Amino acid sequence: MMAISSPKGSGVGSPKAPTLPLPSPKAPPGYPDLYGKRREISRLHMLEREISFLEEELKSSEGFQPASRCCKEIDDFVMAKADPLLPTKKKKSRSSRFWKWLCCTPCSTLCSCLCCCCCCEPRCCDGCSKHLSLPSCSCCQHLRQCSCCKCVTPKSNCCRGSNSGCCKGSCGCQNCCIPPSCKCLSCCSCKCSCSCTCPTCPKLPQSCCCIKSCWSPCCCC
Amino acid sequence: MSLSQPKMSVAELKERHLAATETLNNLKQRLNQTRRSLLDTDIAGYARSQGKSAVTFGPTDLVCCRTLQGHTGKVYSLDWTSERNRIVSASQDGRLIVWNALTRQKIHAIKLPCAWVMTTAFSPTGQSVACGGLDSVCSIFNLNSTTDKDGNLPVSRMLSGHKGYISSCQYVPDEDTHLITGSGDQTCVLWDITTGLKTSVFGGEFQSGHTADVLSISINGSNSRIFASGSCDATARLWDTRVASRAVRTFHGHEGDVNSVKFFPDGNRFGTGSDDGTCRLFDIRTGHQLQVYCQKHSDNDIPPVTSIAFSISGRLLFAGYTNGDCYVWDTLLAKVVLNLGSLQDSHEGRISCLGLAADGSALCTGSWDTNLKIWAFGGHRRVV
Repeated sequence: MMAISSPKGSGVGSPKAPTLPLPSPKAPPGYPDLYGKRREISRLHMLEREISFLEEELKSSEGFQPASRCCKEIDDFVMAKADPLLPTKKKKSRSSRFWKWLCCTPCSTLCSCLCCCCCCEPRCCDGCSKHLSLPSCSCCQHLRQCSCCKCVTPKSNCCRGSNSGCCKGSCGCQNCCIPPSCKCLSCCSCKCSCSCTCPTCPKLPQSCCCIKSCWSPCCCC
Repeated sequence: MSLSQPKMSVAELKERHLAATETLNNLKQRLNQTRRSLLDTDIAGYARSQGKSAVTFGPTDLVCCRTLQGHTGKVYSLDWTSERNRIVSASQDGRLIVWNALTRQKIHAIKLPCAWVMTTAFSPTGQSVACGGLDSVCSIFNLNSTTDKDGNLPVSRMLSGHKGYISSCQYVPDEDTHLITGSGDQTCVLWDITTGLKTSVFGGEFQSGHTADVLSISINGSNSRIFASGSCDATARLWDTRVASRAVRTFHGHEGDVNSVKFFPDGNRFGTGSDDGTCRLFDIRTGHQLQVYCQKHSDNDIPPVTSIAFSISGRLLFAGYTNGDCYVWDTLLAKVVLNLGSLQDSHEGRISCLGLAADGSALCTGSWDTNLKIWAFGGHRRVV
């Protein structure tokens, strides 16, 4: 191979160091391309394995039942099992109580229901019995606006001392104002609870209602 | 043919490869013909022949009872406890939150070592939670551990070994010590949490398995040795944990990524949800595709299904879609009977995950709008 002149940047014209031949691409070595062959063998193995799996499946498919029998099994299973999310007749069961909890917290002293339609049972308005006489609730139209006040009775029974605007449709009345501790101007604005009688706020008269919100302490009214 | 006997040339090998491919295709064709001959009906056809009518919901029958607010990023995954009233959710705000579903209280807010979380699961006893994501590690947190000086719950175990992201995880029922993960490395792995080691690897380079990312797994509630996986290769596969070398069966039919798989309550079927916009129901014993659940849209643009769940009886199939819809399918009649996405207080973004409470009394949905919502029956129920 002829010596080639020095590559760029190597001090061209330097007569002292002998120039080495530049590396040049060579033909691939003559030994077998085992990597390529091994890869082909591996792929062939995988194919042959897939073939044996399919042959097995084809053989077993001779014993498969038709789809209609599978459908019948599904139908029988579904119809036999109770489902709390389905709107069907069912016997009351323990598990059904949980969904009531989840959808509807029982009326506490705040007498609020989270889901009106769940409240449509007397039990829901039990806590409101102090100021309401509720043989039953009817379904409230607005979800999470259910107020026991709304659930049946004439408004005058619901919010004594309040105006007739109390407990209308979207009224978020959380607790009907209970005399004599609170005097509600309007249930809608007065989410009144017994926090009105706040011992730490001696300046506030006993009958003072928290106007803004019962979530605020009396002192912040 | 042995690798130590490379006497056959590459050309001959390629020829054999072609012949094997042809044999394979012929076998597939014969199998498809056999299957078609056995598909004498689908579930809807059968139900109609029995005179069944679709479930009908009143306007206030299925309502949103709770909205769980607290995440500041998209919710990607959720899971209920077996005791039914706690939920763990994972969000790309980098946190897991454990909620009391009744009170909406946040019991734990766990800061994650990697924010890119994609999946979470509750252990059967409710003592631990697991999560995984783009870090390719499944992290286990013991909820009874003492928090560190920063108030964070420490990782109690890290399950490392996947070569790709962790898309899904589920504890083996009744075993707090074993968990299965699905991964972007095309494999599923059964882990022993006590040792942190892999017990079995399903699929992968040297075994017959998925040929693309695994996106979802579901363990059979009736037989915990059996689980199903869904993948970007448009198939679902059934696995037996005792036989890791190959899938028990491969289920074809979908025309896009299978994003979600969930076993039917009877344990003999499973459902899938896919990028092709359909849900399907497959029989595990025969491989039959028993039903396709597909809703036609006027603009022919069918949104992908992101997640599915069955009601406890299997009568209802809940399917979340990328456009925020959450269809409630009557599984027997293959009809959409309700769209939770159109109800009051529905999510404002994609439904990314769904989960049914253990007693079937409520459904929780998670969304890219950062919220979780709980849906339960709010209608009248006539008592017998």
